[in-house]
Amino acid sequence: MLSRRLRNGYPKMKRLLSSVTDGKGFDILLVGLPLLFLLAFSGLPLLYNVLMSFQEVDIFSLGRLIRPFVGLDNYRELFAAPEFWPIMWNTVLFVVCSIAGQFTLGLALALFFDTGFRGSSFLRGLFLVSWVMPGLVVGAIWNWILSGDFGVLNYLLTSTGLISENIFWRSDVDYSLWAVVLANIWLGTSFNMILLSVGLAGIPKDLYEASELDGANVLQRFFTITLPMMRSTIGAVVSLGLIFTLQQFDLFAAITSGGPANSSNVAQYWAWELSFRQYDFAKGATVSTLMIITVMIAAVLYVRSTRHEVRI
Amino acid sequence: MSAKRHTRLLLTAAILLGAIYLFPLYWMYATALKSGSEIFAYPPTFIPRGLDFGIFAEVWATRDMGRFLWNSLVIATGSMALVALLGTGCAYVLARYRNVWIDITLFLVLMLQVLPASLMITPIFVGFSALGLLDFPRFAVMLAFTAKAMPFFVILVRATFMSIPAELEEAALVDGNSRIGAFALIALPLARNGILVSAILIFMQAFGEFVYSKSMIQDVTLQPASVGLNGFMGPNTVEWNKIMAYATIYVTPILAAFVLLQQRIVSGLTSGALK
Repeated sequence: MLSRRLRNGYPKMKRLLSSVTDGKGFDILLVGLPLLFLLAFSGLPLLYNVLMSFQEVDIFSLGRLIRPFVGLDNYRELFAAPEFWPIMWNTVLFVVCSIAGQFTLGLALALFFDTGFRGSSFLRGLFLVSWVMPGLVVGAIWNWILSGDFGVLNYLLTSTGLISENIFWRSDVDYSLWAVVLANIWLGTSFNMILLSVGLAGIPKDLYEASELDGANVLQRFFTITLPMMRSTIGAVVSLGLIFTLQQFDLFAAITSGGPANSSNVAQYWAWELSFRQYDFAKGATVSTLMIITVMIAAVLYVRSTRHEVRI
Repeated sequence: MSAKRHTRLLLTAAILLGAIYLFPLYWMYATALKSGSEIFAYPPTFIPRGLDFGIFAEVWATRDMGRFLWNSLVIATGSMALVALLGTGCAYVLARYRNVWIDITLFLVLMLQVLPASLMITPIFVGFSALGLLDFPRFAVMLAFTAKAMPFFVILVRATFMSIPAELEEAALVDGNSRIGAFALIALPLARNGILVSAILIFMQAFGEFVYSKSMIQDVTLQPASVGLNGFMGPNTVEWNKIMAYATIYVTPILAAFVLLQQRIVSGLTSGALK
């Protein structure tokens, strides 16, 4: 009934309806709804975050939208805090060493599996379990492996003679950050390997045959063919690694909680701690704003390197 | 003959590498099956002495795991449904056109994908508490997680739609189908596998979600298993066999699903993440 009335009596409605079922309106609706959702639950919080970093926020003004502005005070206090630079340095160390470890191991494994023996693709796929497991479970397992007195890693290291006495990975300020780096390298290696495998598979095999005929050895072939041909893949993998590493939170929560004495604290954990442990939401928002800008830059690099991929 | 031996050598090396890499996983299972005193044995026993499967029932009961896992299931199912509902159409349109607007949308989607949850939780928490959404904490987590996970889903499913020739839909249009008809009757069924695998990946991620749940769900009866595990691991805990039993119960269904769908997940991931 309604549709007949629409069809006969309301030409404007009719056009709109047919546009939604059969024209531009259909596309706009399909993209528009999710985009509105994303803008509401990611875009707005992003702007709100920047706004909060210029405001004074306490537990009483939490429910209000308008709060007293304090200009750059939050930023000034943050930069002056004694833990600010150590934590930023930890973040840099965590990111650089995690990516270096994941990438090197991932590339080595990808090269190994690229030889393409029977069962290689199945075995390679199994490595990805590290990536589908909940981060907190991975953290719990590594927490136990890295335990000081009873940890299996310390046992393996002492029994092979690599260390002479147990390392207290989680409670020694010199090692706590490395405990998380180790777990994070384990977590990310498989993902790096899978993506690098795709890049390796895309290199035409006759390039290798030709250079073999020219007398190039394995190392020469790696540096003159594999690496140059993989340039855009490597760019994408490294920037994805940067993005994922800056998202890593669960391992910190499960292994060291950023301690002892902030020795394993990094910016993304600190931001959460400021908001939800010390209830200083303004400072939390300030750290978040600084880090989000960093992540955005990484994202632009990622998008640029995948662009190259598409054009090839 | 020598080629055969070569292959066998490579396979052995691959299995060895796999075993080393997956050792942490083995250690979880082995520790879970050890007794409370055996876990502190030195040197550690690499194969548990006696297998005590009773520990799973005990941990399940004492840690209220049924309730925790139910909450995880609710959050994961809700998030997956929301992501698939909103993301599939978006991925379809983004795959079918190539112009400036599509590029801008794609760029926006990619940028929103990279925002770390632990940084976004501060404004989301404050905003949600102002809106009163925190009174429905599991729903709040679903909304926040959907916004976090949808871009990834869109990227993966878009790659699936791009691999389906548009000519099939054009033929359907010529035959008198509407756009909705062509989408629902031609494109969706053909992309079914890719959509399903991507949705399962989202489900797995949501099943392990931690930051949002930890921050937004105060009521312990509504918390998911990740928060429950976090609460189990106090700073001075000694019950590592029980913690590993908890982890085993939590993670085994995910691992089983992954091993079953492994090939599809890997190919879905590799076609989407780089393009």
